[in-house]
Amino acid sequence: MQRIVIPGEKLVDSQIRIENTISDKNGTYACVIGYYDDERKSLIPLEGLWQPRQGDNIIGVVEEDKGNMYLVNLNAPYKGLILAKFIETELNAGDFITATVKNLEKGGTVILLRPQRLAGGKLISVSPSRIPRIIGKGNSMLNQITTGTGTKIVIGLNGIIWLNGGKMDLATSTILRIEEEAHTTGLTDRIQKMLSGNEMK
Amino acid sequence: MGGGEKPELIVNGKRLDGRAMDELRSIKIEVGTIRNAVGSAYIEWGNNKIVAGVYGPKEALPKHVSNPEKAIIKCRYAMSPFSSLEEHGRSGPNRRSIEISKVTKEVFENVVLLENFPGSEIDIYVDVLQADGGTRAAGITAAAVALAASGIPMSDVPFSVSIGKVGEELILDLNKIEDNYSDADMPMAISPRTGELLLLQMDGNLTKDEISKGVSMAQKAGEVITKLQKDALKASYEKIMEKYTK
Repeated sequence: MQRIVIPGEKLVDSQIRIENTISDKNGTYACVIGYYDDERKSLIPLEGLWQPRQGDNIIGVVEEDKGNMYLVNLNAPYKGLILAKFIETELNAGDFITATVKNLEKGGTVILLRPQRLAGGKLISVSPSRIPRIIGKGNSMLNQITTGTGTKIVIGLNGIIWLNGGKMDLATSTILRIEEEAHTTGLTDRIQKMLSGNEMK
Repeated sequence: MGGGEKPELIVNGKRLDGRAMDELRSIKIEVGTIRNAVGSAYIEWGNNKIVAGVYGPKEALPKHVSNPEKAIIKCRYAMSPFSSLEEHGRSGPNRRSIEISKVTKEVFENVVLLENFPGSEIDIYVDVLQADGGTRAAGITAAAVALAASGIPMSDVPFSVSIGKVGEELILDLNKIEDNYSDADMPMAISPRTGELLLLQMDGNLTKDEISKGVSMAQKAGEVITKLQKDALKASYEKIMEKYTK
């Protein structure tokens, strides 16, 4: 059974470790609004922010070239930072890049590794909590959009998605629809219909 | 507050607006009123109409106010110039609104998991469009819903309500005229999960027994308010779900 829970709602009577929860000796409680699965004991947030973790792939925009380092806007409370000595290519302010998170430093700076420039295309931003649904199980949803529209898509876990080529408008509206309906069942079928263009209006 | 002749607040065992002593005014909560906010809520609590919006977490500015260990909360409560019969908001923040901003901020500092966002700030705006007594309580209740809707991790969704005293009777959820002429007035905010008091202020005099009776009265009313907050939060998602499960 899946149900929507709100902060402070009791999930189980025992003290167990689930992500996005807090627990005391009487039980475990949700601390975000989310979708709770009783059997799998998992709480998937419906809203939320990106929490940087080592190895996360992100997309950002280079904001400033400081000579020995680059500052990257991640659309988050954190600022990205790339040390110039670790990279060979030069970046310019305004470049779209994808990179991997090395670590989060005190004071809210995210150190980034292995930046790659994304040439052309456009960026859209979605709620970071919907990113897993846009990717789908084993990339299923993402593959569906890519084959349906012919668009090249790169997804950043911070909620920024880069699109280029193909039917870009269709890909954009598909992604925005997944964002809105992420918590509903039968979404894959509806997206398939939307992409093949014979959805009942 | 108030002056002149003190009106009779309890007539034939009923209050002026026909409520029983421990009866709340009607409450309606909506989620997602402000599109640009990360989380927002609108509350109609009797004749109070209040909008609350939450922005952030974002980089804390100016830099010297930020805390490298945890997030900081900034709160602004404001009454619109047209919100009540008295004058409000003629020249920015006044003594009263600065006080209410501070106590609202302190309520949420105790429930939001601030350690998750070091060096950032969370902005809470509470704007009173129409006032009829008990706006700080209604504002905190709305801001709690807005915060929960924004997805910022918090240990609980607090609620707030006031109790007061007229003669020998304790009354729940004071409106404007009761607020002005009652013998005592005690707004409080409570975390329903633990029962902790997050805000407790008092005007006038109450005995020890009356305070503990008042707190339990507020906790009982909280069951109703908490349910309304919960339903409002779930409603927006269930609407989209229902569309496709049929």
